[in-house]
Amino acid sequence: MAQKNKMEIPWVEKYRPVSLEEMALPTAKLNRQKVDLADELKNFIKSFFKEIKTINEKNKKIKAYNRTVSEKKQKEEKKLPTEKAAVLLEGQPGIGKTSIVYALANDLNMEVVETNASDTRTRDTLEAKLKETSKSRGIMDFITESKKKLILIDEVDGIYGTKDRGAVPAIMDIIKDTQFPIILCANDYKSNLSSLYNMIKRYEVHPLSNQEVVKITESIIKKEDIKNIKKEDIELIIEKNAGDLRGVINDLQAISHGAKKDDKDTQDLIYSLHRDTTEEIFGLIRDLFQKVGTLNEARSLTNKSDVDYNFLYKWVNENLPTFINQTDERAEAYENLSIADKIFGRIRNNMEWSLLPYFFDLFAGGVAIASKNKSSGFRRVSFPRYSSSASYSLNNAEKALIKKIRKQYSISQMEALRDFLPFLRILTNISRRKLKEVTDFLDLNTKEKNLLK
Amino acid sequence: MNESPIWRIKYLPKSLDEISGRENIRNRLREIIQNRNFPHLLFIGSEGIGKTTLARLFAKEFLGRYYDANFKLVHADVPLTSEERSQARSDAYVSTSKIGSMAGKRITTPAFIQVKIKPFVQLKVLGDVPFKILIVKNFDALGSNQQGFRRLMEIYGSNCRMILITTKISGIIDPIVSRCQLFLVPQVDFKSFSNLIHKIADEESLKIKDKVIEVLYKISKGKLSRAIDILQVSSSQGNTIDMNTLYENTRKFENELVRSLILLSFKGKFSKAREQARKIVSDYKFSSHELFTELLKVINKLPLSIYARIKLIDMIADADFRAIDGRDDDIQISTLLAKISKYAECM
Ligand SMILES: Nc1ncnc2c1ncn2[C@@H]1O[C@H](COP(=O)(O)OP(=O)(O)O)[C@@H](O)[C@H]1O
Ligand SMILES: [Mg+2]
Repeated sequence: MAQKNKMEIPWVEKYRPVSLEEMALPTAKLNRQKVDLADELKNFIKSFFKEIKTINEKNKKIKAYNRTVSEKKQKEEKKLPTEKAAVLLEGQPGIGKTSIVYALANDLNMEVVETNASDTRTRDTLEAKLKETSKSRGIMDFITESKKKLILIDEVDGIYGTKDRGAVPAIMDIIKDTQFPIILCANDYKSNLSSLYNMIKRYEVHPLSNQEVVKITESIIKKEDIKNIKKEDIELIIEKNAGDLRGVINDLQAISHGAKKDDKDTQDLIYSLHRDTTEEIFGLIRDLFQKVGTLNEARSLTNKSDVDYNFLYKWVNENLPTFINQTDERAEAYENLSIADKIFGRIRNNMEWSLLPYFFDLFAGGVAIASKNKSSGFRRVSFPRYSSSASYSLNNAEKALIKKIRKQYSISQMEALRDFLPFLRILTNISRRKLKEVTDFLDLNTKEKNLLK
Repeated sequence: MNESPIWRIKYLPKSLDEISGRENIRNRLREIIQNRNFPHLLFIGSEGIGKTTLARLFAKEFLGRYYDANFKLVHADVPLTSEERSQARSDAYVSTSKIGSMAGKRITTPAFIQVKIKPFVQLKVLGDVPFKILIVKNFDALGSNQQGFRRLMEIYGSNCRMILITTKISGIIDPIVSRCQLFLVPQVDFKSFSNLIHKIADEESLKIKDKVIEVLYKISKGKLSRAIDILQVSSSQGNTIDMNTLYENTRKFENELVRSLILLSFKGKFSKAREQARKIVSDYKFSSHELFTELLKVINKLPLSIYARIKLIDMIADADFRAIDGRDDDIQISTLLAKISKYAECM
């Protein structure tokens, strides 16, 4: 029984990093400048406690003074500027924002007081939970040396609707006179939050690089001793989750239970884990290329569908030549897709979500209406096969080959790849004997030998 | 040991004396070896002409039998592996349990220096040599980390001398240039080149006329390894290397893949072209920018009218520019190929 329970801990919790030092830190930007998030947050906490102490001491004096004078002459108590009281981490879901906060608290031996979207957050409930924490530094705190607290208001952009009425002004009030540092997290920019966002520092948190995600994935695979997942599957999972590490880990856990020997099955499983099943995408791609004739039709097609657009536009790229094969139409379709990609890059790099409608119109409508003569009849739709992330890193056979080359001949990895290997291909192409001489000399196995073709 | 079936390895010089040409530099280096002392050195010269070979053989002769223990070569342009990066991260953190003002703090040394350089330069000299030698290839790739490197040169300079190698001095910050003795490594002169080729020809029983060697010298642009490669491939067609065999075989070295990529696009064979582009990118680990640069080189060699050439260059530049913002290189590359096809159709 115990065994079973243990297995069912969600891996996202099981493998949540516990310390900033041991976790891969995502890139973060403050006012579009890259910053070291760990340093920034640690400094934020440190300076918070330093300044709040000074302010409390000053306020003690002011209070004492105020007791001695008439109401009119009383001085106002000092307050910590709001941008020193709270910071915001902004970035797409599942990239590690919450984890960073917990890891930070753990490193600094602090206790996290959290509210998130699963709590109802009216002014009353928020105040009940946070104001007590944020204000009281009762005498007990000093005597028992209890842990310092860190307030986490997670998923602030999840506050909306009548249910959460008054929550935003309540948070703003809490920030104005908190006794503990506050970190807020959010996915998207919401206009009803602008007054809140304006009073604090906003860090844009970007997804971890695919390499980092691969590494995290591999370490989980190793620890869980999973045997049935292939490298291509991992790449597909990562690609499909587009930066969402939580999604990756969840998929991995699901697949580790379900995957069969056959890799086609695993791939299907990966697709079926997402709402956009393969069939749905196939249909969508066919409709887009074969039926859609106007921008509006394209819009309603993409609006209706649940298919993740991060991924959908790669499908459009993969299948474009199958459906549009007239040279000038293809060039026009690609022109629009290329601008869509460029806009998408800006959206993702600068969090300019307001540009998203252009992206949609260009990659779907722009591509669809470029072809006047619609292809008809059945066309095979293919999976996006090209993954830009995979092509930059060496695969295992390449690594092994280069290592063997470097045993005999000292050159850098890049020189081996770009200068020496192409030459070896020419040389070994000359005759079987040459090929044999070279493979013997470098001591290559079949896989490595195949790289010379 | 087995003799290498690959000539460029077989004829690698094994000592300073065996290096072709560059008399001046070799003499200066020999002097240094006699004096048992030298400041940090900076080798500048174009790609593939033998800077590293020179530096390495110098280090080998300087350190003599203590070479292995006191020598290291690092490539500044090779990214750290993820293990190395996390290593750097954990090294950079001084545990809170340590005593002193640094406890709990992060040392902000760039990861590359932390992992690849520091451990080596900190270690004491082993054996009877005045200092260790570190070669850093493609030093300019360190970029802004050069400042950090400069401090290292100062702190550990007496324990370890550095030989920095670069193709462009403009990529190196002044404070570093000023701390080094400069060596401009020239292309090998024709006479020495010709001597080497004759030597190899003798050894491999080839016949090659001086005129042909002259052409080989031009074709290989001073890259000895390239010249030897061409010679070896040409030799597979017989013992006499004449102009024809030379030209024929040189063509194999031009990036055929990239050339055929353009030709496929010209012919409007889009799907094949895209396939080819993907293969090139994954074989050579090209970024889209690097692929575009290769395309540009080929375009410049093709017999095109000046108008067509300009138009094509404009398209490549545009694609390269979009790829800076874009997220999917494959889309930008495909777009370029599609546009080239369209342009070729109305040419
Ligand atoms: N740097 C990291 N190293 C390893 N795992 C991580 C890292 N960052 C996040 N994770 C994993 O990803 C999951 C999602 O992260 P989370 O912090 O909940 O994202 P967010 O708050 O941005 O939505 C975590 O449960 C954890 O398992
Ligand atoms: Mg979260």
